[in-house]
Amino acid sequence: MSPLTAIWIKNWNTLRNLRRILQRESIFKTVFILLFAAGMIGGFFMMFLNGFQFLASLGGGGFMITRRLFSLFFLGLGAMLVMSNIITSYSTLFRSRETLFLLTAPLDTRTFVTYKFIESTLLSSWAFFFLMIPFTAAYAWHEKLGLVFAVWTVLFSLPFVFLCGALGSLISLAAVRWFPRSRLVWGAAAVILLILAIRVLLQIRPVMQEEATFILNRFLPGLQLATHPLMPNNWTAEGIMALTNGEWFRGSMLWLVLVTNTAMLFLLIQEFGNRVFYTAYQQVTGSPDIRRRAPELLGWLDRLLAFLPHDIRVMIMKDIRSFLRDPLQWSQALIFFGLLGLYFSSFRSFHYNEMPPIWRNLVVFLNIFSVSSVICSLAARFVFPQLSLEGHNFWILGLAPTGMRRILLTKFFLAALAMVTISAGLMGLATWMLQAGPALSIISIGLAVAISISVSALSTGLGALFIDLKQPNPAAIISGFGGTMNLVLSLGMMLGAILPFGLIWHWRASEGLADPLFIKANLIAGLWVILLSGLMVSLPLWLGIRSLKNREY
Amino acid sequence: MISIQHLNKRFGTVQAVDDLSLEIPAGELFCFLGPNGAGKTTTIKMMTGLLRPDSGTIRIGGFDVQKQPVEAKRIMGYIPDMPFLYEKLTPVEFLKFVAGLYNVTHPDLSGHIESSLSQFGLQEARNALIGELSHGMRQRLLYIATFIHAPRVIFIDEPLIGLDPHSIRMIKNLLRAKVRDGMTILLTTHILALAEDIADRIGIISGGRLIALGKLGDLRTQSGDKGSLEDIFLNLTASPKNPEPLPPKKNLNPEP
Repeated sequence: MSPLTAIWIKNWNTLRNLRRILQRESIFKTVFILLFAAGMIGGFFMMFLNGFQFLASLGGGGFMITRRLFSLFFLGLGAMLVMSNIITSYSTLFRSRETLFLLTAPLDTRTFVTYKFIESTLLSSWAFFFLMIPFTAAYAWHEKLGLVFAVWTVLFSLPFVFLCGALGSLISLAAVRWFPRSRLVWGAAAVILLILAIRVLLQIRPVMQEEATFILNRFLPGLQLATHPLMPNNWTAEGIMALTNGEWFRGSMLWLVLVTNTAMLFLLIQEFGNRVFYTAYQQVTGSPDIRRRAPELLGWLDRLLAFLPHDIRVMIMKDIRSFLRDPLQWSQALIFFGLLGLYFSSFRSFHYNEMPPIWRNLVVFLNIFSVSSVICSLAARFVFPQLSLEGHNFWILGLAPTGMRRILLTKFFLAALAMVTISAGLMGLATWMLQAGPALSIISIGLAVAISISVSALSTGLGALFIDLKQPNPAAIISGFGGTMNLVLSLGMMLGAILPFGLIWHWRASEGLADPLFIKANLIAGLWVILLSGLMVSLPLWLGIRSLKNREY
Repeated sequence: MISIQHLNKRFGTVQAVDDLSLEIPAGELFCFLGPNGAGKTTTIKMMTGLLRPDSGTIRIGGFDVQKQPVEAKRIMGYIPDMPFLYEKLTPVEFLKFVAGLYNVTHPDLSGHIESSLSQFGLQEARNALIGELSHGMRQRLLYIATFIHAPRVIFIDEPLIGLDPHSIRMIKNLLRAKVRDGMTILLTTHILALAEDIADRIGIISGGRLIALGKLGDLRTQSGDKGSLEDIFLNLTASPKNPEPLPPKKNLNPEP
């Protein structure tokens, strides 16, 4: 048996044992998670379907957008796959404990890198399929396409996923090999360069283009890049369409172009990985030069916080230092917010500020929605598991002469402060770029702040309620029942806060809601958000504190 | 069986291993001692190919670890101090996986696995997931996995961490039996009594340099200390960053 076959049998056994593990979990938990996933896919399907119906209602322009939207969608998913694979490849190739185990086995580097590349691509592709399935299903439903459309989509999607995965893995390998480690500034510089590169790519303009295309490109950022004949996302989108329309020769040719390029990148990963991995691994695993490292990170902040009670100050400093020393964590957050910041700062380039009020309002509320969604996912990813991740060290906090209430509230305030700073800053930028009026600016920033505080409290409280000190893996903590419930409630809170204001402002812009009624409706909606936030802050924190106090360790 | 020539490894400004040379013949249990941060684990990691030496060569069974890594790894086994096990596999699945990795061509692999599990007292746990096993059971499983491809050389980093007295006795007997069968074992430990008990030869490393080497008697001669291995070790490794050796215990029993 070859080592690679042994590894695949091992993976198959792991998957098979998952059933055993699931059988031991409560039925309610499994059903809840499955229903949530189905609800998300259903929700995305309805959203995409509404979008296609809206575009169809626009007539010729809508038709032009719909065709190109397919390419744009695959461009977005492709970019997401590449970025996600950069991070996943780093953790599976260099940080996974399995790596150490496999490196002492008689496995040649080529085989090892191949296995890890496939593993990281599969791990990072679930979100691609999670979004791609409802999008293509909505398109097929809207265009009344048969089942064959699904077959062609799968046929093109698989090589596309591996092509993007290979790009991500190549970037990850090269970055680890040639970037000096322990330099946070290099990591930040890489993310900023990536964002700038995306910005430049999005603004690519051909010298000659049709007037209609020119206008479309002004309103749809990245369309020019998405429909470029050398882009793999364009081969994918065009290939699916060609085969669906019965253009067998063109469709087959595009599929072959995609497959051969993927195969070439596969070979490149093997060859490049074989040459580079071992040296890169030495960079990551070699002990750092501790003499050059300052004994205290952010010592100035520690001194600045001297006014705080000593136990709260040290807990805050511990959490900040642990977070900053884990680039895998903050790099994801940086990418999320960097891209959002980039998007908001491009509003004037795309002339969003010149749109009629009804559209501008819509964009403002969509911005609140997108910022809040990212806040919810960050709270689910970072805030919810923070108490569980104290793990075996929890006894240090438990034995300290400080109460569980103080511990939990400190974690909440720190999380809320970070989330509020980011969300209010981003919303401020978005409303300023859109030249929104003062009332709308105050409401959108206020909503972002309320949602950030509520979601931080919810994640901290539920994190204490569903604490799991035995699990060192944050992904396993957040994918459990508590983590899923936290995400569902966070998203629910977000919708509950945004929708009333969104409806009032849309009503005002579309049907001219009278001033007195408009002001009264805003006041009621504001009161509702305050009440909702109060409940979302106090109840989970109270439950969390009670649970921690009553817990045996 | 293990041949190390002028091995060096530096991390930034720290010389972790400094011109280390060592020859360990087949069928010897060699014990590597040294204070924390002396370079023991770094040396083992270089011997297993996990770390690349800055200079020097390591040959395992005649294979250069850097130039012929796959051949060298085929005849070696490694038990780290904090081992990794696949928590979602059963012991049988895990052992079959390791056998596949090393391309073990045992005519009755399943029977061999069953008898090994029974020998190590893990038969009852054969259907459990590894994540459900106790620390001692996991350690025992790891020993079965390491021996499954009949390696000629074994590296063990702290072999007795967290084991109960029964398991400790079992592991000690097992290691001695394997050495009698011709296996070469290099282990690092802080339990000096273990080294005194089972090692054929002992090497003491401090600041990346091999400062003493030989049987217990040789170490006494080299250090000029006639006391226990603990006394010899503390005298040899005494430095400003290591605490001073304790004064000799007073004999509280009156002379007869």
